Amino acid sequence: MTDETGKPSAADLLHGAAQLHRRQILKSALAATTAVATVLPAPAVLAQLKPFTGTTINVSCWNSTYAQLVSNHLGEFTEQTGIKVAYDLPGFPVYNQRADLELSTKGSAFDVLNITAIYTARWIGAGWFTPLQPFISDLAKTPADWDFADLLPGAVKPMRDRKGVVHGIPWIADINMAGASRFDLFQASGVGMPDTFDEMERTLAIVNKKDNIPAYITDNLYGWSFVPFIQGFGGNVFRNPPDDLMPTLDTPEVAEAADFFTRLLSNFGPEGVANYTYDQVVESLKAGRVNYATLNQVWLALMAAPDSQVAKTTSFGLFPKGPKGRFPGIASHAWGIPTGAKNKDAAWEFIKWSMSKEFLTKLVNQHALASITRQSVISTPLYKQKMTFNGYDLGQIFIDTLKYADQGHMAYRSVNVFPQVNMQIVQAISRVLSGQMKSRESFKLAQTYAIADLKRAGVKL
Amino acid sequence: MLPALLILAAITVIPTIYLIATSLTPLNLTLPDSAWDFSDPTLNYVGLWDDPRFITSVWIQAKLSAGTVVLQLLVGLLVAMLVNGPTAIRRFARSMFLIPMVLPPIVVGIIWRVIFTVDISPMHRAAAALGMPIASILTNPHLALWAIVVVETWEWFPFTMLMVLAALQMIPSSPLEAARIDGASRWQTFRFVVMPYLRQTLIVVGLFRLIDSIKAFPLIFILTDGGPGDTTQVTNYYAYQQSFSFSLWGYGSAIATAMVAGTMFLSWLVARTLGVADVEVS
Repeated sequence: MTDETGKPSAADLLHGAAQLHRRQILKSALAATTAVATVLPAPAVLAQLKPFTGTTINVSCWNSTYAQLVSNHLGEFTEQTGIKVAYDLPGFPVYNQRADLELSTKGSAFDVLNITAIYTARWIGAGWFTPLQPFISDLAKTPADWDFADLLPGAVKPMRDRKGVVHGIPWIADINMAGASRFDLFQASGVGMPDTFDEMERTLAIVNKKDNIPAYITDNLYGWSFVPFIQGFGGNVFRNPPDDLMPTLDTPEVAEAADFFTRLLSNFGPEGVANYTYDQVVESLKAGRVNYATLNQVWLALMAAPDSQVAKTTSFGLFPKGPKGRFPGIASHAWGIPTGAKNKDAAWEFIKWSMSKEFLTKLVNQHALASITRQSVISTPLYKQKMTFNGYDLGQIFIDTLKYADQGHMAYRSVNVFPQVNMQIVQAISRVLSGQMKSRESFKLAQTYAIADLKRAGVKL
Repeated sequence: MLPALLILAAITVIPTIYLIATSLTPLNLTLPDSAWDFSDPTLNYVGLWDDPRFITSVWIQAKLSAGTVVLQLLVGLLVAMLVNGPTAIRRFARSMFLIPMVLPPIVVGIIWRVIFTVDISPMHRAAAALGMPIASILTNPHLALWAIVVVETWEWFPFTMLMVLAALQMIPSSPLEAARIDGASRWQTFRFVVMPYLRQTLIVVGLFRLIDSIKAFPLIFILTDGGPGDTTQVTNYYAYQQSFSFSLWGYGSAIATAMVAGTMFLSWLVARTLGVADVEVS
């Protein structure tokens, strides 16, 4: 439409302007959309990159060093995967009771739980944890370079059921070893780290009360800390585990071991030693209030931590050997997915992340985490460097100790009724330490009670 | 009426029935089929009589209950008499004395764990500084149970104090005044005027505390874990151990059922005995 002059009418101009405006807006919108789509991932793309965005998983473990370190890095996991983690770290006994109850009722409160060493046989044997092979062997879920075969075979073994199916990814292979918080007192007395039980008693007698510090300590979980002494004297917990579960707590070897062990604690331990829990032991060592301990590597390594008052005087050694050999405790704890878990795929993402080579290397590098289960990380110069304290190569002690696993002496711990016998060992040592009974009498009673408890649990003896 | 009964059934009767039913099975959580195995319903109860640890735990429980109830009544009564009055300082003291009772049991346990742990305890350090070092109490088989009695008393005497205070304030002034005019001594006034008014309150408080003492668990869990040996392993701790450490819920339920029956019988017996005595005195 034009007016008399042939020029577009005002109405046309207005209409054209409006059309131009719409066209421009449409163009601009298209350009903006394209730009946004190019620069920022669209929701669909986002969903492909982080398919678990919006998922929250519940994870629980006892408050180990590793589990605490993991909690410091959960933000990275959420950033990578979009999965939020509700993380719970109760103390060891509380965790075990809570997990036992949760698992036995096939509850769905937790997506990832720790498979505790002493409950491994019970929890896996009862079918309370999901088989992990479908996750491990599915390349869509687990890239080949995550490398399951890199995990220490000795640590993975307890996590397999009778058919060999894996139910847990071990995050720790913990070992018994020895450590001295005030090795300067050893040196001043002209003695070194003891290598045998005899040397241990002689050495502790020499350094006891030097600088007013009791010489020896161990925690009151005697089902763990005392058994290496039983085996060092030639005894055992069961006759032939896991096939013959007759307890053997009333043997002369056990009584001899109990005499030796309680003598060490009574003569060289701090007042009230029978009541020391593992965290108290660690704090006492780190504060230099007690000197020498036979304990888990994961705890002893904390003596060399930056917040330790004894970092400069700490030394380490292998668990001493008895008349019948060296039998350090070796135990693995693992991440597993309860059968009742609601978010199994997301749970696997968490396990995969927390047990990746990259993450474990980071923990070694930043926090000097000792008892890890990836061979490729353990064999790096970084690990050796980080695990050498005051000239003592903790990493080598770890590797050397793991070799003792081939003796098969830890079979007693893979028995599903071990908690019953564990309780009897704890009480038997406690009775001897508190002067209620002599070793032989106390362990004879423990044997009677253990048999009663095993029969009640349906074990044929 | 019916909804109330249904709620009552849901929260008390059904769990109790389930507990009793479970006690008639050999339920072992690792063997789920055992949940409905009623083939030998007396198995667990026969087992209780043959279990010396159960019998020992009952005896330990009896000592713990007797010790805590008597001490709580005595201390609570004494403190109530001391803080009974209108002065500001007494009002302040009353509030302060209530603190232990309102603390969560776990906090109470931790406080006393610190006090009883030799190398960090202010009590042990002070004694050592005075040249009178105290040996570890919690690892002494003769003292560990009494340590728990002391802590239980510390935590719960305010309950007695509170109830006795309420009763004291209900006593009419005329008999007290008459006693004073008659020249009665303080002790005579307390013995012959005040105590009869407090008697019913003390019976009720004692009964409450007796029942509650049987539930003593957190303190034992934190302070001694049942030890040394099994010297502080009371019956409910033993039931807990069987159920939660060994997964033997059938046996644990039988112990719990026996405890419920025992508590009910004891409550009835105490109420009846003291009640009858009270009527006779009246």
